[in-house]
Amino acid sequence: MLYFSLASKAYARNLQYRGAHMLHNVASALFGYLYACIWIGIGQDRPLGEYGVHGMIGYIAFTQASLWISGFTTNGLGIPQSVRTGQISLDLMRPVHLFVHLMCREWGQIAYQFVYKSVPIYLLYVLVFSLSLPQQVTTLLLALAGLAAAAYLSICMNYIIGATALWTTESSWLYWMNHALINLLAGFFIPVEWLPRWLQTVSWLSPYPYLLYVPTRIYLGFEDASRLLGSLVWCVLMTLACLGVTAVVRRKVEVQGG
Amino acid sequence: MNIRYWLHLYFVLIRSSIRSGMQYKMNFLLGMLLAAGIQIAEFLMIAIVLNKFGAVKGWSLYEVGYLFAVMTLSKALYRSFANDVHHLENYLTSGDLDQLLTRPVPVLLALMSQNFRMMPGELLQGGFILTWALHGMMQAGQITWIAVPFTFLVIFTGAVILFAIGLTTATAGFWLTRINELQTLTEDASQTAVRYPLVLYPVWLRSILLVVIPVGFVNYVPSLFILRGELGAWVLLGIVLVAAVCLFASMKLWTFGMSRYQSTGS
Repeated sequence: MLYFSLASKAYARNLQYRGAHMLHNVASALFGYLYACIWIGIGQDRPLGEYGVHGMIGYIAFTQASLWISGFTTNGLGIPQSVRTGQISLDLMRPVHLFVHLMCREWGQIAYQFVYKSVPIYLLYVLVFSLSLPQQVTTLLLALAGLAAAAYLSICMNYIIGATALWTTESSWLYWMNHALINLLAGFFIPVEWLPRWLQTVSWLSPYPYLLYVPTRIYLGFEDASRLLGSLVWCVLMTLACLGVTAVVRRKVEVQGG
Repeated sequence: MNIRYWLHLYFVLIRSSIRSGMQYKMNFLLGMLLAAGIQIAEFLMIAIVLNKFGAVKGWSLYEVGYLFAVMTLSKALYRSFANDVHHLENYLTSGDLDQLLTRPVPVLLALMSQNFRMMPGELLQGGFILTWALHGMMQAGQITWIAVPFTFLVIFTGAVILFAIGLTTATAGFWLTRINELQTLTEDASQTAVRYPLVLYPVWLRSILLVVIPVGFVNYVPSLFILRGELGAWVLLGIVLVAAVCLFASMKLWTFGMSRYQSTGS
């Protein structure tokens, strides 16, 4: 119940800013539109692999909308902020595990972003580009499962990014680096199979493809449920990493601010 | 108090800003390294696509590299010298602008000298891509050495135009208080858009990027003349004029906005 309240409070807090967020959606949708225009331009004189121009537009539309689930997670889950204010010492004293506490809060944030950002942006693309929705419900459900795993992976990654703030007091650079890597390795703009071979290897050795590429491919009907196994393995590995990091953080904490 | 006095003061303030940033050594070094990494990842995204598919609507890899590099360098110049103009929202919501108002220097100057950021990552990456693109096009006989001084001029005027756009957006903050969302449109999205040739976009979007947010004049319009010999040499003069008009208008607007400032925060 506690976990649910943490998530629902984060969701409710965001509801206050719905208006501003809708304006932001316009900008976010515009980004996807730009990328789609680029692929339309490239696809004018040549075929775009198994996707085709229309398929590529569908691809970009889905990754752009999914970015609000697995890309734009709170910077370091708010840890850098609480390190600077000293709040982190209180957070570590709570009778809830730090990782679980922050994770639940972030789930509320992601749930809000899914409802008020991903869905409206994607619907806008469906109208503007006349995209077709999946024919089978199972495809949709599998894609949602892939996105849920992506959201969890993103939470774990941001937890680890946030934890570095205990050493550097700042982690926004790592956050942006992570974002740049999502753009490049997660198949945000370029499907992973079109990367140079060495970069493909790097990408598949990391959890990045499971953030956007895998859910998108499942949604577009190019992959089946077996891909989700990879997501599951990474979720387990990242959970272990987060628990390990928490153990180190407990010994490292220094109270700043006042 | 002439212009030399203000310039001197500006550089003194910038020097102290750099020194305060360097107090957090680990963070300073990490920030520098990661900024370079981010830039490389961003360019790889474009380079991989063009390398795989060749030209986009008649624009070669070198030409797109040129557009990308000029935008990166102009932006680095603008953000180095006027970083906190982009972050005015923080001052407005926290009430910190009041502090700047009490200083014996113009608010804009005080704002510009806060949190000065050298952007070595961006400068290195932009400089490298620019050299590579210019060299490639010279080898192919597409351009001559005269393109080099022209490019320097364009990077400078581009920085002025970006500054004017940034300042105008910031000025909107005097009425709106929160401007992050607006900045995503006028700065982030539009700057991303013109890293690619404008011919990719439909006419309505192209017009917006040239008229409403004149970001197309930073790299696309000048490159039509410098790289492709289209239009004519008057374009360069025109760009200087556009930059001057944008700067003048944004400064006027800023002064007007300042007169409407009401403090917030605690």
